[in-house]
Amino acid sequence: MKRLIYSLAFSVCVAAAGTPAFAQQSGGLRVEFQGPGGHSSGAYGRVSALHAAARAVILIQQTLPSGSYQITNLTGGNSVNSIASDGLIEMKLTAANAAAYQALVATVTKAAADGAAAENAFRGVKAGDLTSGAPATVRSAVTPF
Amino acid sequence: MARPEHARALLTAATIVLTSVVALTQAPPPTQAGTPATIPAPVVAAAEKIANDPQVLALVKDQSTDAAAKARWNQFLELVRIPSPSRQENLKAAEIHRRLVEEWGFSRSEVMTRADGIIEASDTNIVDGLPVYNACVVIKGSYSGRADAQHYKGQYPKVLVEGHIDVVNPEELPKAGDPSIRIKLQPYAQPVVATPEELAAIPDELSFDARGRVVENDKYATASKVFANAKEAEAGGGVRIYVPGYGDMMPSTSNAFVLAAAMKKHNIKPVYDIWICGTAGEEGKGNLAGVKQLYGFDQKAGTGSNPLNIVANFGLEGGGTVNFIGSYRFEMKFKAPVPRGGGNGPSAPEAMAAAIAKIADVKTPSELRDGAPRTTYTVGRASCEPPPAGRTVVPSCSLEVDMRSTRKEPLEEMRQTIEPMFQAGASAENARYGRKDASPEGITLELMWYGLRPAFVADTVDNPAVHAGLQSGIQLGAITSPMVGAGSGSLNDNVPANTGIPTYQFTLASSAAGAGGHAFWEWGTRGAPATEVARMHRVLTAALIVSGFHAADGTVVQPSVGPMGTRTREVAR
Repeated sequence: MKRLIYSLAFSVCVAAAGTPAFAQQSGGLRVEFQGPGGHSSGAYGRVSALHAAARAVILIQQTLPSGSYQITNLTGGNSVNSIASDGLIEMKLTAANAAAYQALVATVTKAAADGAAAENAFRGVKAGDLTSGAPATVRSAVTPF
Repeated sequence: MARPEHARALLTAATIVLTSVVALTQAPPPTQAGTPATIPAPVVAAAEKIANDPQVLALVKDQSTDAAAKARWNQFLELVRIPSPSRQENLKAAEIHRRLVEEWGFSRSEVMTRADGIIEASDTNIVDGLPVYNACVVIKGSYSGRADAQHYKGQYPKVLVEGHIDVVNPEELPKAGDPSIRIKLQPYAQPVVATPEELAAIPDELSFDARGRVVENDKYATASKVFANAKEAEAGGGVRIYVPGYGDMMPSTSNAFVLAAAMKKHNIKPVYDIWICGTAGEEGKGNLAGVKQLYGFDQKAGTGSNPLNIVANFGLEGGGTVNFIGSYRFEMKFKAPVPRGGGNGPSAPEAMAAAIAKIADVKTPSELRDGAPRTTYTVGRASCEPPPAGRTVVPSCSLEVDMRSTRKEPLEEMRQTIEPMFQAGASAENARYGRKDASPEGITLELMWYGLRPAFVADTVDNPAVHAGLQSGIQLGAITSPMVGAGSGSLNDNVPANTGIPTYQFTLASSAAGAGGHAFWEWGTRGAPATEVARMHRVLTAALIVSGFHAADGTVVQPSVGPMGTRTREVAR
């Protein structure tokens, strides 16, 4: 996860370096969530990556300025009777300049982490916990596209 | 999916590990809790007679060889790698159909299902608008040749033995290329994979030739090691074998067809016909399509016509229960309004997110109140329709919710809590833009699919399938007393039970360990072949108790159930 975030920061810096400081900047982000998944009933109580993604969308609504983003996809899970092991938000960001764009990315990254944290807290799991040997928490990662 | 609610958390691993260990160490069977069934004396006698019949024992001996164990193992590996998403089971059904005729000794007339999903005698060949890819074969009985044989509209009595062939992952068949699943092998010393990428990166995997036969190389040898449990596997160089369906439930279903072929080979002759089926659509949006076809279950009416005149049902997913919980499933579509004037408007993904976020905070009755029946839910899947070319507005998004409980009242409570949240999500999004609900300018909702697992609460633990299932276990030493657990299942058995057909469940699988059911990291490790054989012996004995059996000494064990199956509506054909 840290590697991804560093990579993202690097990518944004590179993008910003190639963009005039006061030119409008836009771009796409993939916000991914990964959890353990499992049977909807047999494994009930595990975190859901899709629930975490939805929580993150609401946090994005609450923290990003209106008009600065557009969510173009929200998806996750494999079947109705399974806890979703994956969640994905795809979105476009638009900012007045490179610095503002970087701030938007940072806000989205925090919202993703907070969405995952809220889901983990709701189900009472923390980093390092395992469920049947697999990581019990939902984790988030943000990458540009 | 499979197990009774009280046992599901342990899923395959604990249940199978425990029973495998018992089989290997010759320890006494575990004490069982529950309500005792009253086994009729003729059933006790039939179990003893059938279990010790020379033809049956010859079958068991034949399956007890190393060669037979290897053949079962290879067949499982070759079938489990064929992807079989719910409602897209056609590839796996086709391979089973092919093997039935070309390899397992059956004539085409004994294969009761067609490649196009039709069962000619059923009045329910389309479920939720789609064909049903069951794969069924018949072991012909003698009953229809009797002068006094009874039938229901031309259908003589049948006993059904079934296990499902659909699997949660992958979600859909691949659009192109080789669809086969790559079976990955991972030493126990390494941690369970945390992401699909980690799984894909595992270097060791099984190989298959152009005909789909497993290549017996060093990887195969490693994967084929037999263990009693995870601890022994870890100490003995065992591997996690990652493949969807390992735990849920291809080992058991594959062995059902091994049993069918063995019954054919050993000329096992029942009185009533026995159908052995790999059923479609047990998982997810499968909506129990396979058994709905077999039992003519009309979802809208909530009735089953039992068009094949099935008189008893045996499920192979394990459980041993008589109560079956209902579940509600909804697929809801959030539709975006047509954009106006280029300005921003309510967003379908954000409306759906608002609904999911509300649902995600729901506490179930069993979480809120001590002693409340176990109740669960999840938003299992969500997706969005991509914007048309040149546009940025997402036209629609859909979510799928599952909710279930061991009792009707908390299930209704969950439905009453969650169902309004669909509209609440749409309303919240509309409110952000000052749009009215149900107006052309706001997010609107559409019910896309409603899934129902019909419930059944037994007023007695006694029925012919339970008697046969329990007494076969007692006869063969798998259990010591005829106890029926108090738990509730959510299985294919929901449909026959709701239609009035007696049903019981056990398994033909034998895994040393496993986990990750319904997740990308589903895995298992090979268990004792002897356990599989013991379970085949039991299932065969139970099925023949109910169907009746022509014994090797020329006597006939009469069926333990009458020739006319029940139904909740008349067949429409």
